Amino acid sequence: MQDLCSQVLKLLEKYFDQEATDKEKLLVEGHLQVCPACLDVLRSMEELRTLIKVPVEAAAREEDFPWVWQKIEREIRSQRKPTWLQSLRSRLDVSPLFKKKIWIPAVATLAVLLMITAQLIFKETPSYPGLSDVEYVESEDYNVMVYQSENQKVTVIWLFEGTEKGASPS
Amino acid sequence: MNQEETEMISRCQQGDQEALREIYDRYQKKVYRIVYGVVRQREEALDLVQEVFIKLFRSIKNFKGRSHFYTYLYRMVMNTAIDHTRKTGKHFISSLDEEGSFQPSDEVEKGPERILLHKEAEEKLKWAMEKLPAEQKAALIFREVEGLSYQEMAGAMGCSIGTVMSRLHYGRKRMQELLKDYMGAHGQGGDTSSAPKAQKSPKADEER
Repeated sequence: MQDLCSQVLKLLEKYFDQEATDKEKLLVEGHLQVCPACLDVLRSMEELRTLIKVPVEAAAREEDFPWVWQKIEREIRSQRKPTWLQSLRSRLDVSPLFKKKIWIPAVATLAVLLMITAQLIFKETPSYPGLSDVEYVESEDYNVMVYQSENQKVTVIWLFEGTEKGASPS
Repeated sequence: MNQEETEMISRCQQGDQEALREIYDRYQKKVYRIVYGVVRQREEALDLVQEVFIKLFRSIKNFKGRSHFYTYLYRMVMNTAIDHTRKTGKHFISSLDEEGSFQPSDEVEKGPERILLHKEAEEKLKWAMEKLPAEQKAALIFREVEGLSYQEMAGAMGCSIGTVMSRLHYGRKRMQELLKDYMGAHGQGGDTSSAPKAQKSPKADEER
């Protein structure tokens, strides 16, 4: 009996899953009529199947599948690639620039840039004394130094009386 | 695969959304049952159904027709569902403690006993399913929920029939072990491979 049980148990899952051959079915069914222990094993498999299957079936019955399809359709539409004409149009389209208020910060940025550029352009170049002309004339009574800026707009004449001690500009 | 289905798939491969709708109508419940079997949560299952059909529409061009369409689809469904559970980790918030004992919430305690029992059964089952390796879980769902044959399962899981039988066997055994207190008189601790303890019956005695 024990040998037959182990032989049947090897086939029991195949039998339960309806994969057993006719010969195997006969053997299993014959044994199950006389062996409650093997029958219990079969019933525990049936019970497990019910436990797994029934809640899934119940959940599937309650579902509204057309609603899910609408979501799928919407998602596919939003993911569709545009044709080359559509993508060209979208590239050439500048209307978003006007729709959104991009122009306000754009104009402000442009004004700041202009101000910076103008400052750089009109900034006065400093003059360097080294580039100016200096002439020095010596005599017994007076010493004269003539200073003239490079662009000849400013001329300074220094008159020194007698010695260097009493020298004063005039 | 019949002529109608071949034509429908061919149209879908060319980007016909109406063909996808036909496939959806034909397989929606099956897909839902499989993903629900894995995640056991309504909202997640519905999101996965959506994900599967969008994925199908994008990748159906890769289906060469060498196998049955449903095995191609079922494989995609199972992979999507199992990937989802891997990504979300142990997402299942259970009312069961580490040992699998049911800890009813206040809300359930106040309800009728029937709701409590139903809730407990669901929770216990979810808890046990979470403990199974992905392949065994897939085998159990394909067989117990969808009723696929070993051959069909092998096609959908990309393995041999022997591997299918082994996954089913160990999956059932593990589930029976985990649910032994719950499964009543028939729970044998999951050992379906060894000989059962001898139980005397009049007929058995006669045989000896």
